[in-house]
Amino acid sequence: MSGQRGQDVHADNVFMSFAVTSDSHTLDAYRARGGYEALGKALRTLRPEDVEAEVTASGLRGRGGANFPVGSKWSFVNKQSPVVYLCCNADEGEPGTFKDRWILEHIPHQLVEGILLAAFALNVRHAFVYIRGEFDLPLRRLRAALEEARAAGLVGDGILGSGFACDIVVHRGGGAYVCGEESSLINSLEGKKGYPRNKPPFPAVKGFYGAPTVVNNVETLANVPWIVARGGAAYAALGNKANPGHRLFGISGHVNRPGLYELPTGYPMKKLIFEDAGGILGGKPLKAVIPGGSSTPVLTAGEIETLTLDAPSLQQAGSMLGSGGLIVIAEGTCMVRLLQVLTRFYRHESCGQCTPCREGTAWMDDILARVVDGRGEAADVASLRAIPEGILGNTLCALGDAAAMPVLSFVKKFGNEFEYFAANRRSLNGDRLEA
Amino acid sequence: MELTIDDRTIEANRGESVLQAALRHGIEIPHFCYHPGLSIAGSCRICLVKVEGVSKLMPACNLSVVPNMKVSTVVPEVGRAREQVMQFLMLNHPVDCGICDKAGECRLQDYEFAYGPPRSRSIDAKHHKRKLHDLSPRIQLDNERCILCSRCVRFTREVSKTNMLGIVERGAHAFVERVDPESDDDPYSDNVIGLCPTGALLSRDFLYQSRVWFLEPVRSVCTGCSRGCSIDLWRRKKEWRMRALGEERNSMLYRVTAHENPEINGPWLCNKGFDQHKLMSRERMLTPMLGDAPASVEQALARARDLIAQARSPAALVSALASNEELDVFKATLGARFRVYAREDAVAEPGEVVEDEFLIKADKNPNSHGVRERFGWRTLTAADAQGHDLFLVWGDWGDYAGFGRAPVIHLESFARQRDRHADVHIPLSTTFERSGTFSNFEGKRNRFDRVLDKPPLVQHAADVFAQLDAELAAPQELREAS
Amino acid sequence: MKDGPGDADAGALREQFDRLRTGYPSQMSASLVLPLLQIVQEQKGHVTPADAHVVADYAGVPRAQAIEALSWYTMLHRQPVGRHVVKVCRNIACALRGSDRLLAHVEKTLGVAPGGTTADGRVTFLAVECLASCGTAPVMQVDETYHEQLDEATVDRVLGELP
Repeated sequence: MSGQRGQDVHADNVFMSFAVTSDSHTLDAYRARGGYEALGKALRTLRPEDVEAEVTASGLRGRGGANFPVGSKWSFVNKQSPVVYLCCNADEGEPGTFKDRWILEHIPHQLVEGILLAAFALNVRHAFVYIRGEFDLPLRRLRAALEEARAAGLVGDGILGSGFACDIVVHRGGGAYVCGEESSLINSLEGKKGYPRNKPPFPAVKGFYGAPTVVNNVETLANVPWIVARGGAAYAALGNKANPGHRLFGISGHVNRPGLYELPTGYPMKKLIFEDAGGILGGKPLKAVIPGGSSTPVLTAGEIETLTLDAPSLQQAGSMLGSGGLIVIAEGTCMVRLLQVLTRFYRHESCGQCTPCREGTAWMDDILARVVDGRGEAADVASLRAIPEGILGNTLCALGDAAAMPVLSFVKKFGNEFEYFAANRRSLNGDRLEA
Repeated sequence: MELTIDDRTIEANRGESVLQAALRHGIEIPHFCYHPGLSIAGSCRICLVKVEGVSKLMPACNLSVVPNMKVSTVVPEVGRAREQVMQFLMLNHPVDCGICDKAGECRLQDYEFAYGPPRSRSIDAKHHKRKLHDLSPRIQLDNERCILCSRCVRFTREVSKTNMLGIVERGAHAFVERVDPESDDDPYSDNVIGLCPTGALLSRDFLYQSRVWFLEPVRSVCTGCSRGCSIDLWRRKKEWRMRALGEERNSMLYRVTAHENPEINGPWLCNKGFDQHKLMSRERMLTPMLGDAPASVEQALARARDLIAQARSPAALVSALASNEELDVFKATLGARFRVYAREDAVAEPGEVVEDEFLIKADKNPNSHGVRERFGWRTLTAADAQGHDLFLVWGDWGDYAGFGRAPVIHLESFARQRDRHADVHIPLSTTFERSGTFSNFEGKRNRFDRVLDKPPLVQHAADVFAQLDAELAAPQELREAS
Repeated sequence: MKDGPGDADAGALREQFDRLRTGYPSQMSASLVLPLLQIVQEQKGHVTPADAHVVADYAGVPRAQAIEALSWYTMLHRQPVGRHVVKVCRNIACALRGSDRLLAHVEKTLGVAPGGTTADGRVTFLAVECLASCGTAPVMQVDETYHEQLDEATVDRVLGELP
């Protein structure tokens, strides 16, 4: 059971428009809520380019973390190609992020409908859902939903009696965070190690087995039925103008009510933390927030005063909207130990292909592990400042940047803790990670 | 189209990468994982360059040329990136150049000197991986020295197609491994030794034999089959020959490397080619012989001359190992007196690859084409043999039983145990001991240069033919006389 | 169901391989590599290089490819594991909510450090990265099932109920 604690349900919500019950994920329940009407409308009255036009008009941006305009990505595909593939990225692995899992568990049909609408727009005959291998209930719910959908003529040949045909294959990952990167996902789906690819060529031009391929995040695709049903303009009116819509924001860490909250973009960050999520555990002061998954630069309590949950606001603050997963840190937490949790993660997940990430992630973790173990040296903090500079922008894929930014931002904003730990060989905050 | 790299404007072709265009114009952009014969990996990141109008540095190996592109390699940003990549590569590198064969021809060494930081920033102990161990009977692998450029893996995947090598494990734990030790050895495996930009992959045959700066390459042609790949034979430089080393080490051939030849073999060579220098280790015929008794050169030539003068229907078996130049001399001189038969000196050994779709050809001789061009290809049958009263055998030959009781003059390079000896044995120089050309199966001429001095009593075939011909009467006179 | 170490049951495997293949477009047999390795692991608990060769041959890819994949994906075990696998998340949200404490507790309860298997072969204990359950941290996965919002008591109950 994840998310949705005391979450208000609104009929106009994109995701949380109903109260979750033991069968609200079924086909019948979804249809009762108006599910698959958008698909029917598209197949009966729209052309594929109309669906793409609505998505473009909606201003929808990718929800996986890269925030790229979805309509643009779709427009790069030559739909006249002999084969076009669609891959739904369900390899949710960004620490602090747990929204795609919620969609798979509670509204799998909404995802299926979104996949079908995207497939219709892109001329896709075979779509794939690459779902992280660890997922259990999300996988079972998705498979059950697809079985229901097939039985009801919603997936396969002649969907809803039209000439449109699309099959959806569920493919499990094997435990690799990097496979959430779209070209790594494609290589993994081709039966290889999940090494990311050099770009260009981009997947929209040459992807899965060399064919034009679109990789979209689960949440991204789950937006599409709402957009087609109510129109792109209606979506564009939601939330922040520059990156409109609703997002399933996750909040975790030292808050009283961690979980998922469907909110319009542009929502004030402080409001989410202190009202919706019930503020900091034990009433402690806030120390820091990692705003969009562990790969986004950390912000101090002072820096989030006026921030809103949208890309422009966070970019201006020197961070990113990312995957929308906030991690909240209370006063008293040892930022050095916390950073080492992350360097250990990125080191484990580096695919090993390119020099700066492969060597740099291991090096940064070696240094931090030594510092945290009470064997820090004077040179260590300077190294922790310099090594990320050698990684940022120089790697084959964004995992290098994702690994470098936490180190860069933690040391920059909490440098005194690092210097203390290195010089005194113990934590300034008593090794504390819990609130 | 035109683009600028630093202050040079160069022309480039559509579809080329910036790196390819730069290299073509002799502009140095460092690169490890890029190789013109392999797919693009883009993983080493040493080739990062600055492109005007682009915020991130771009890998030149995967950057398509665009008209009027402005590329910088001398800006501080690029220098810093190169320095940082070198720092990362050297982080856990053993730096055991003192005991590594690659020293002196090591790209990692060269780039570290050129682009690396003045000193390492690391204060942590280096991580260790598996040191020098046998990858195969021919190659040793040292995983610590490896920078995971994947050239070797891509070679066995894309070029030799044996998939002998792979990179296993994730992140910094990754290492190159022979992924299926039960599989057959790759007949092109040794190419990875030259491909490897560090001392990770080394030839077992060459291991610890010499420092490379004491050696020099001489251009030659492989005699292993009719493709005639270009090779370099490595010998000790004259100025580095020292009495203390002894005659053998001063004069031996140390190793073979592939010599890039776009017409014939590209940058590649098969393992048989890499073993060409081992032909030296076969025992040589060093002195002329009359029957089983050593003789002087004069005595042997005199006897040969007499046998030829007396013969009415002499046959010559010409060697497909002979150079075009030798064949020309034979044709123009002595050869006019003989009915000429062609033959293959060498055939495929058991277990040897006969032919494949890559380099290896079924004809295991370097100059069958040269023979055919000049003499046609008529092979000696038993019926033919009965009609001849003298056999001049040129090249390697087993026993003379097929010649009946006719006398035999045998010109050969290598010693052989025999029950019956030829009437005259004249020792010949090998391909290493003279210059010349071969014509490969497509008729392409390929040049080899002399790399060794011939032993004192050994003769060049061309000299023997010319001399014998000069001492004999003209062929018409011979026929008139009979 | 996990058999002991050794070669997988070829007949049962073949059936599952064939069934898996029907779910994919026919020209995509290479894509089967990872799912096939997962089927082998489901049957015997871990995957050997010989198994990887079988998978490669079935999928029509070079053996090198399957060997590389086997070594690269974290969820694949190359050594035998216990009857149950307990994975405790150690990443950031769980760390902020006490995963260190729980990791120590599990280690004390089972008597093995992360990475190890109990002497009786019942449990393999692993510390893993983010399981996408940050809102209900701290979290562990026992075999397939997620157990969320853990404390020591819940951990004891779940581990105690494992056969």
